[in-house]
Amino acid sequence: MALTTHTTPSGFVLPSIHAAKPFFTQQPNPATQKTVTENWTRLILSYARHKKLFNLRVEDATDDKSEWDEVLRNPRIQRRLRPSHLAAILSSMVAANQAMYEPPNQTSSVLLFWRSPEEWAQVLYDWANSTGHLNTIMTFYEIVEPPVPSPLEGLPLPILRKAIAVLTKSARAQIIAVADGEGVRFLPGVPGR
Amino acid sequence: MSLKRYTISVDGTIPVPALLYDDEVLLISQEGVGIYDGPQKAPNHQSGIVHATTHRLFYIDNAHSFSRSFWLDLAHVGRTEYYAGLFTSSAKITLYLNDPPPRPSTSIVAERADSSFDTPAKSSQVDFWECEVCSNRNPIGLTSSAALVCALCGVPRASMKAPITIPSRQNAAGSYSLSKSLPSSSVNLAKLHLSSSPSPSPPVPEVPAPPATGEIACIACTFLNSPLLQECEICGTPLPRKPSLAPPARLPAKSAPASRSATPAPDSDDDDDDNPDKRMMRLSFRKGGDKAFYSVLRRALLGRAWESKAVAAAVEAPSSSSSSSSRPLGRSGINGILRSVETTAATAQSNMEDALADLEALMVKWKDMVKLAQDLNERLTAASTPAPGISLVPGAPLGGATTLATPAVEPEEATFIRSSLAQLGLQMANAPVTQDMVRDERKWFEELAKELAGVLEGSGAKGGEGMMRKRGIVALDEVWGGWNRARGVALIPPATFLQVLPHLPSFTLPPIRMRTFAASGLSVLHTPPYGSATFASRLVSILTLVGPRTTVEVAQEEDLPIGLTEEMVHEVEMAGEICRDDGGSGVSIFSSPGAPWAASEGGEVRWWVNIFRGYVWDGQK
Repeated sequence: MALTTHTTPSGFVLPSIHAAKPFFTQQPNPATQKTVTENWTRLILSYARHKKLFNLRVEDATDDKSEWDEVLRNPRIQRRLRPSHLAAILSSMVAANQAMYEPPNQTSSVLLFWRSPEEWAQVLYDWANSTGHLNTIMTFYEIVEPPVPSPLEGLPLPILRKAIAVLTKSARAQIIAVADGEGVRFLPGVPGR
Repeated sequence: MSLKRYTISVDGTIPVPALLYDDEVLLISQEGVGIYDGPQKAPNHQSGIVHATTHRLFYIDNAHSFSRSFWLDLAHVGRTEYYAGLFTSSAKITLYLNDPPPRPSTSIVAERADSSFDTPAKSSQVDFWECEVCSNRNPIGLTSSAALVCALCGVPRASMKAPITIPSRQNAAGSYSLSKSLPSSSVNLAKLHLSSSPSPSPPVPEVPAPPATGEIACIACTFLNSPLLQECEICGTPLPRKPSLAPPARLPAKSAPASRSATPAPDSDDDDDDNPDKRMMRLSFRKGGDKAFYSVLRRALLGRAWESKAVAAAVEAPSSSSSSSSRPLGRSGINGILRSVETTAATAQSNMEDALADLEALMVKWKDMVKLAQDLNERLTAASTPAPGISLVPGAPLGGATTLATPAVEPEEATFIRSSLAQLGLQMANAPVTQDMVRDERKWFEELAKELAGVLEGSGAKGGEGMMRKRGIVALDEVWGGWNRARGVALIPPATFLQVLPHLPSFTLPPIRMRTFAASGLSVLHTPPYGSATFASRLVSILTLVGPRTTVEVAQEEDLPIGLTEEMVHEVEMAGEICRDDGGSGVSIFSSPGAPWAASEGGEVRWWVNIFRGYVWDGQK
């Protein structure tokens, strides 16, 4: 059976394996399941990047109205990812630091790291540098909801904190308590980094 | 025919107990019995009561009990035969009779039609002997014990005097001369007979020449008898012989009717036909009761009460005989004691005969066993090189087995085998291998493996298919059970069975190996096509060719049980050669999106080739 890629109406190219029925089944063989999980992780992250999605909940697997619907379900082969399978995938993603549970202490909802915190940190620093915010104190709110569009727009605060934490370690940012919450001051660190 | 020759008529109107001898006991009675005289029915004796006593068999006719009843002396019966009856045919007892009996000397003339011969006179015809001691007049029964011992005082009849004859005969003897008066009036027989017999008439000097008819006048009663008779038909007195006459045929003295004298020609009774087939009688039990009667009759025949037994011994030690046996009515004193001794002896004899019959059957088999053991012993002696244990492998022909034999056999082993064989006393060609037949552990397992190989593959020359012939894969428990069933004795415990299995491939062609499925722990024996690698590659090629398959479809294709197929497919899955699609969720989502359970509804698992292996990402970068 020849499997082909499929382009969704939103322009996302689904891999050919998405058209294979076993892809939607949790495989008992651990080796096989590892491949399945890897492919699912890649698919989820690439789709999240494509659609700029950060949140993925287990319930999305059963929700036809979800923005994840065209990935978690394949009506052409009448298969959909089962919630238990999705939960297993999410758990493995969290373990691989490709996602984090948000809110913490539960396992049904994650924030996806379609960019790793280090990548986000770099993006954040570049953005601050390019917009001339170095050495100024900015609130988180100003970062994630800038007046002009930016790659950081809509970034969930937990990810932002992780990114800032990464910058703090390399002495390129500093967390400062401000009146209405938290603020950050970007420091001109090692150039060219 | 035999009926006439062997039986003696009796007046059936007299109750049977009154007809018995003193030492005779009525054993059983059965009504609704018909008589066959030889192979044919006896027309005059078709419905009556049969009584079996220790000495005789009475037939009392229902309709004509006076004229058609008779008794048969059991001493004439050689053997009996029982026929259980079929459909409308009644159960029958056939009595084969011995050689023709001598004419009974004390025949009771009961069939007389003339009532002038009254019954007291008839009963007085029985002989008596008088005891010397107590002067008791003892009747002469058919048993010599009764004839030899006084019933009252038990004293043997030492001096065998001639029996005291009955009054009527004395009477006849006394009036010997009056028979001479029997004159010419042979024509008016019946009338003369009626008038002359009860009261003797005055003596008449000389007997005239016999009439032209050749009838002989009785010297006692003057009755004109048929020339064929030796004794007077009426009173039993010996008739004077006439040399000119042909020797008289043996005619039954008692059954000839009175009119017979008028027509003396023997009426084509083939009495002289001594064909043993015709010397028989049948009792046809029209109203059942045959079985009980037959067993009683046989017992009576076996008891042989008419033969005298241990008379002297019983007389010598009368006190030793116990009173355990129930004494029949009308018996007392030493006579009863003697009787009980006789019964005990008969019982002991029959028991002994039964026991000996069993012993004989055992002896027949014992001979076979000895023969077998001897045969084997010879083979052991003859065989110089082959190990003796080898030839005992079941199913393996002797020639093929010897090729595997170890070159040398210690004599002590041979001796051991020989002695154990002798102890057992039997040895069969296909006896199962037991541990004591084989030298060491390894050898023992190898022999067992060879035997198991025979069970699995069928022992070539003998034909018959082994357990694996058609299947190629068999569960271990089934093999174990089948093997032990084939062995029958010296069953193999599971532990030994498992130890034998590693030896199995070297004795089977193609090699049969064991494999255990990890998931369930099920163990099977399989031929190479069902090895895990072979099966996996075959399954993958099937899936590649025809697309995804369910377990059931695979099972059909492989002709295996579904459960077994599932185990094997799981094994392949665990090897990563295939992957699964449990399906199910898709259809229900579209058909009934509101149903929350639809997502968890499982379909049948379909097996795919492992599409993830070697997959390269071809989706969105």
